[in-house]
Amino acid sequence: MWLGLVRGADAHPHVWVAVRSEVAFGPDGKILGVRHAWEFDEMYSAFAVQGLGKNGKPPTREELAPLAKTNVESLAEFEFFTFAKQGGSKLKFKEPVDVTLESDDKKIVTLRFLLPLETPVPAQKPFSFQVYDPTYFVSFGFEKQNPVTLSKAPAGCSVSTMEPKPLAADENKKLSEAFFQNFSPGADFGVKLATRVIVACP
Amino acid sequence: MSRRSRRFVIALALAAAAAAIALASPEAFAQSGRNPFAIAGGESAGAASGFAGLVLSWQNKFHQELQAAAKALKTSPEAFWTLAGASLFYGVFHAAGPGHGKAVLASYMIASRAALGRGMALAALAALLQGAVAIALVGAAAIVFGATATQMKWAAANIELASYAAIAVLGASLVWKKGAAFLAAAHTPPLPRASTVFCCEAVGDPAHIHSDACGHFHIPDAAALESGFSWGDALGTIVAAGLRPCSGAILILVFTLAQGRFLTGVAAVLLMSAGTAATTGALAAAAVYARETARRFSSPESRRAKLAGAGAQLLAAVAVLILGLALLVGSAPGGGA
Repeated sequence: MWLGLVRGADAHPHVWVAVRSEVAFGPDGKILGVRHAWEFDEMYSAFAVQGLGKNGKPPTREELAPLAKTNVESLAEFEFFTFAKQGGSKLKFKEPVDVTLESDDKKIVTLRFLLPLETPVPAQKPFSFQVYDPTYFVSFGFEKQNPVTLSKAPAGCSVSTMEPKPLAADENKKLSEAFFQNFSPGADFGVKLATRVIVACP
Repeated sequence: MSRRSRRFVIALALAAAAAAIALASPEAFAQSGRNPFAIAGGESAGAASGFAGLVLSWQNKFHQELQAAAKALKTSPEAFWTLAGASLFYGVFHAAGPGHGKAVLASYMIASRAALGRGMALAALAALLQGAVAIALVGAAAIVFGATATQMKWAAANIELASYAAIAVLGASLVWKKGAAFLAAAHTPPLPRASTVFCCEAVGDPAHIHSDACGHFHIPDAAALESGFSWGDALGTIVAAGLRPCSGAILILVFTLAQGRFLTGVAAVLLMSAGTAATTGALAAAAVYARETARRFSSPESRRAKLAGAGAQLLAAVAVLILGLALLVGSAPGGGA
């Protein structure tokens, strides 16, 4: 009876992240990895800058460095929340580099890091990735404007994003049968709500 | 074995299995991995389906409303009422997911013979403790010591560890008591067949006096089976279920503090606790109802029914112990998957 209450989803986002990514290419035209800029919501940002910064000024990068370190240390366990594929096979990432956490004037913090692929891949086959938290504690969403850019890409390469089908109950929409079907057993919210980024080169 | 007692045994076995499954579900143990952006430990869990999916979308909605209302406080004081409403519902729906607190509370209600009122009181006190810990943590850490996010995470992780230890201790204490009660029930000799012993006593006599030699025979250790409410265990349950503060409460408190409206945040968190108490109280009531339904089917004199009852309680106690140990191992430094 209470089984139904106890099992199920505790998962719901406590933290929202607006993602902007850059696909980095090497001089040989291979894809090296993904550079992320994750901007946190106001509540998490307030938590991050708590006790930091002098005279009401936003904290510096140095002041935020310890938090950046603890954040990034546990990213590996969650596969950096970045899931890349090429030709149907999953690609692995190495430890992030160039990690910084910085605060803007409004005390909104952004985590930046480069996530190098374990082995760079040729760009001729479509390369795709998604950013999501499978546990849905963190809700990742791409920025509306220029969500993904290419850096040093060979001529003719293009990037596109595929939005997920809307999942959440629209306030104006009635709860339809389809709504429940979307939450089929074993459904993984993180991935179902994730945008897919596809990079294609000639 | 009578039909009634067979039904009773089946019902109790189902209740015990439900407790075991709920506690052994991957979600209960999925807490080992620490989310990089977690505030008070891994509250997150994986997949959701059906009803849970609906709960999830509501939780999400109220969390966002909470954040929007807290933000609006800066410009309009009347946003407090929106914040209050969102906090209450956030508490209700946040508590509707799985979590060790609810598992401990429900198992305790099965393992002990605590009555409905006591179960509700335990649920309310656990929810209040959860809010109070968040308020104390942010109040002391942030206001008094000007702690940073990293230091608050560290403090929250230690509180979490203490709450898992409390679950293990509660489980061990329940196993000790329920184990003794189960053994007492197991050592009770089976009922002599009524037909084998001549019984001289008047049947239907309201005074109902008879000797042990008579075929009609009471389970001797009924007191051990029926007892089960101890203030120590009750306090242990409140601490085990409510010690760990919730991320949402910490976030709202730090956020309102940053806006110079900490007291508004305190009010919001207390309302969250009220909402949580409503849900966990309903859960406790459901556990009591399930237990009492199972008992109604029983013939009170049936030895097997008593044994099954004691066994179900022991199983629920073991489940609490296993949950506590698993959470402890999972969150110990260097531990976890």
